[in-house]
Amino acid sequence: MLIDKEKCIGCEECHPYCPVGAIAAVEWEGRAVSEIDQVECVECGCCYKRSGVCPVDAIYMPKLEWPRSIREPFSNPHIKHPSTTGQGRGTEEMKTNDVTGRFPFGMAGVAVEMGRPGVGTSFRDLQTVAMAIARLGVEFEPNNPVAELMADPKTGKLHEQVLNEKVLSAILEFKIKTEKLREVLVAIKDVSAKIDTVFSLDLISRVYPDGTTPALAIAKDAGFTPRPNTKTNVGLGRPLFKEA
Amino acid sequence: MTHTLHRQGSVEDLHEDYVLLIRTSRFVNHEGSEKTMQQIWEVISHYEQDLVNFGNHNPNWDGGELYDMEALKKAKSRIIHVVFRDRERIKACLKEIKERDFGISTVVSGLCGETEKICSEIGLHPHTVNYSLGVHGRTERLPKGETLEIHTMCGHAMVSYHLIDHMVKEIRRGKMTCKAAARKLSRMCDCGIFNTYRAEKLLMKMTAGRPEEISIGGDDA
Repeated sequence: MLIDKEKCIGCEECHPYCPVGAIAAVEWEGRAVSEIDQVECVECGCCYKRSGVCPVDAIYMPKLEWPRSIREPFSNPHIKHPSTTGQGRGTEEMKTNDVTGRFPFGMAGVAVEMGRPGVGTSFRDLQTVAMAIARLGVEFEPNNPVAELMADPKTGKLHEQVLNEKVLSAILEFKIKTEKLREVLVAIKDVSAKIDTVFSLDLISRVYPDGTTPALAIAKDAGFTPRPNTKTNVGLGRPLFKEA
Repeated sequence: MTHTLHRQGSVEDLHEDYVLLIRTSRFVNHEGSEKTMQQIWEVISHYEQDLVNFGNHNPNWDGGELYDMEALKKAKSRIIHVVFRDRERIKACLKEIKERDFGISTVVSGLCGETEKICSEIGLHPHTVNYSLGVHGRTERLPKGETLEIHTMCGHAMVSYHLIDHMVKEIRRGKMTCKAAARKLSRMCDCGIFNTYRAEKLLMKMTAGRPEEISIGGDDA
């Protein structure tokens, strides 16, 4: 996003709308105007049409060139990713698991939601986490928009050009056999000390006929404390996926 | 995306925060689902008085549309979001959706134990669960307390920490009510998953005891 300094009246109304605090007042031709720090701006559109906050329409979206163009779909939930043609950061994950069967018995789904909540992430930090996980033989979800940014999915290495790009969030998604879950979760915990941002961590499990989810016990054993709130697919989708 | 999973807050507060998410799968049952989704909105409209918020992630850039149930009943919806504050009301709504057997995947975000009980009480068996294993890394970069709780009601991070702090200042200066501030924050989240009721209560807590405070339920500026 950019601010047309000719139009800007320096009211600063847009400043608090920026999730990453990238808008500040500057002196320009003898008066105060607002300016967006282009290194920090994640192109989320919060200061633009989403809020409609500017009283003089001084904020505008320039045409974004690669690699900066990846910022917008990873930050603005309205924008579709060119590679997946879907909105948002990830996939349908477990929301439709009753009809897709993506996470069967014996497998756990894991999502590392880089930059959430509200801090944002660089792809360099994402690469650090991806490489730590990839060493354990994890295969990343190919339908997640992060996949197209990977130079080598087997090592988790991203294309060099995207490493300094900043976005509101990007998700590393994968599924693994439950017997490998503990090792992967420990690796995720270890790598969390090596990044400059935060991530929210998700664990997906099929509910067994006796009502249990074995993956949860493994996570607790690995030192994680699950929050009291969850997301539960209640199994109303049709046709119901039949597991072999 | 997991935009409804990581809502922060005490167990007591989360007792007033349930999100019902209904969506088609683009790979399985999206084709020809338009009418079914409209019928689901029709069922949801029976509970309109109980809803805190709702929406279909329609990129219309206009938060005002979120609160127009009649428009949503005629819209093309790939996804339905509905926020309840009362577990008995979400239970009643979920029961009706179950009985109508629409065949569209349905997800409840909320307290795990309560969700399990709700399912048991209406004869549903949870299929798959997504657990939040918390926030990791440079957690010192996060804001504390109520600001984080309000922020995480929009998992896409459209409700900026700075905007929440700004609203708190406006309330303290007597320029806005807690209710109006909660509505203004909610406009940023056009999925319709922001719990405006809970946000208003949290804003009251954040501004309690301030001489400039305007009480809850005042004007809707």
